[in-house]
Amino acid sequence: MLEGLYSAAAGMAAQQQQLDAIGNDLANLSTTGYKTERVAFSDLLYNRFDVAGTETTTGAGANARTIGVSRAQGSIRETGDHLHMAIEGEGFFQVKRANGQVALTRDGSFGVDASGTLVSSGGDRLEPPIKLPAGVSPDEVSISADGKVTAGGKTLGQVKLVTVAAPDRLLADGDGRFSPTTASGAPSAVSAPHIHQGALEESNVNMGREMALMISTQRAFQMSSTAIQNESQMMAIANQLKP
Amino acid sequence: MDLGLYIAATGMIAEQTRQDQLSNDLANATTPGFKADRTPQHSFGSMLLANTQGGVAVGSVDMGVALGKTYTDMTPASIQETSEPLDFAIQGDGFFAVKTAQGVRYTRNGQFTSSAAGVLTDVSGNPVLDQAGAPVKVGANGTVPASALGAFEVPGAAKQGENLYTGTAAGKAGGTVHQGSLEGSGVDAAKVMVDMITSLRTFQSGQQAIQTIGQTLQLAATQVGSVNG
Repeated sequence: MLEGLYSAAAGMAAQQQQLDAIGNDLANLSTTGYKTERVAFSDLLYNRFDVAGTETTTGAGANARTIGVSRAQGSIRETGDHLHMAIEGEGFFQVKRANGQVALTRDGSFGVDASGTLVSSGGDRLEPPIKLPAGVSPDEVSISADGKVTAGGKTLGQVKLVTVAAPDRLLADGDGRFSPTTASGAPSAVSAPHIHQGALEESNVNMGREMALMISTQRAFQMSSTAIQNESQMMAIANQLKP
Repeated sequence: MDLGLYIAATGMIAEQTRQDQLSNDLANATTPGFKADRTPQHSFGSMLLANTQGGVAVGSVDMGVALGKTYTDMTPASIQETSEPLDFAIQGDGFFAVKTAQGVRYTRNGQFTSSAAGVLTDVSGNPVLDQAGAPVKVGANGTVPASALGAFEVPGAAKQGENLYTGTAAGKAGGTVHQGSLEGSGVDAAKVMVDMITSLRTFQSGQQAIQTIGQTLQLAATQVGSVNG
């Protein structure tokens, strides 16, 4: 009987995890390049017992864990800024963080720093770096779909898009940046990069879907809590037996 | 008379198990590809009572409730669109196959991801197999066509936990694999809630029966044979 209490409690914990992910997704409704969290549910082990030769099994509840981020494409919004880039399909921009490590990001809201070098919204330099020569205004820059950066017929550099074998296992560093891990594999160049200049990839959070998910998650949470109450009531009933 | 006590107790024990299973079903109300468990309850078999003096049969008495073998309701659930490239669902019958350390296991939960080696895996990291039993590779664009995944017919699949089933595949299944969607949970929450109430009340009536029999026994032990006055 106590088993049921714990399996229902495990169910509540799993729904809580989903609710946390929804909260994070909704908070990032308008974060450029944000991808929703993927939450994976699974059942737990089963307890098999034999009463008079029959096999009766009871489960131990549910478990939820995040398995990285979604890979669904966010919609692409024109901004008109010549240094903004949106990736269509696979790939990440590479930026060099302050500590010298290379991080990956889908956020293509680049600008220039004081020296004329392309930097992300967080101030990290694009890797490999692209520097606008003195006198070249960002408005003269043109970026081709495969990432070639030119200004006035002169090539300034190449935006390199990379990806990893398991993007779900990238380590989120905050600020829309991800670090490669051994579980994700090392970054390698994307075979067919597709960059849109003057546009940004919006967050792929779907408000309607998240709200619907939130309601169903809350209800599932509630129902598991009712199951706990029922189990508790059954114990109380059993406890009322008096000699 | 005290036989009745034990008969009522078997009913209570059976309802406890049912409640535990319902709790597990509710906990998995949102687990993709989850299938609900059902345990049939049947009569324990009856006993013939006979008059020990004359040998005349008095009638039969049931010995209470016994639990049967738990079976899993494999009815396919509705398919939900997720637009996630590595989410898959089987419409109709069949299972995906994954290679675990213990051997090939089967699952209806198609929430997959990719490994550092570029292979499609389930959430625990087990490679997903194609119809020929080889691991499925993730394409250069990060997606896998639905046709690359195997769908197997597994008669008598038994739950192992972690979304996996044990069993032996018997060829290709009739169901079709869809990309970008997941099969919902097979738990009908409303039905489970009703079952829970029924179970709770059945349990309660078992308790009442025990109480009543207990009181009757008490009367027999204290009142019968006492001289009034």
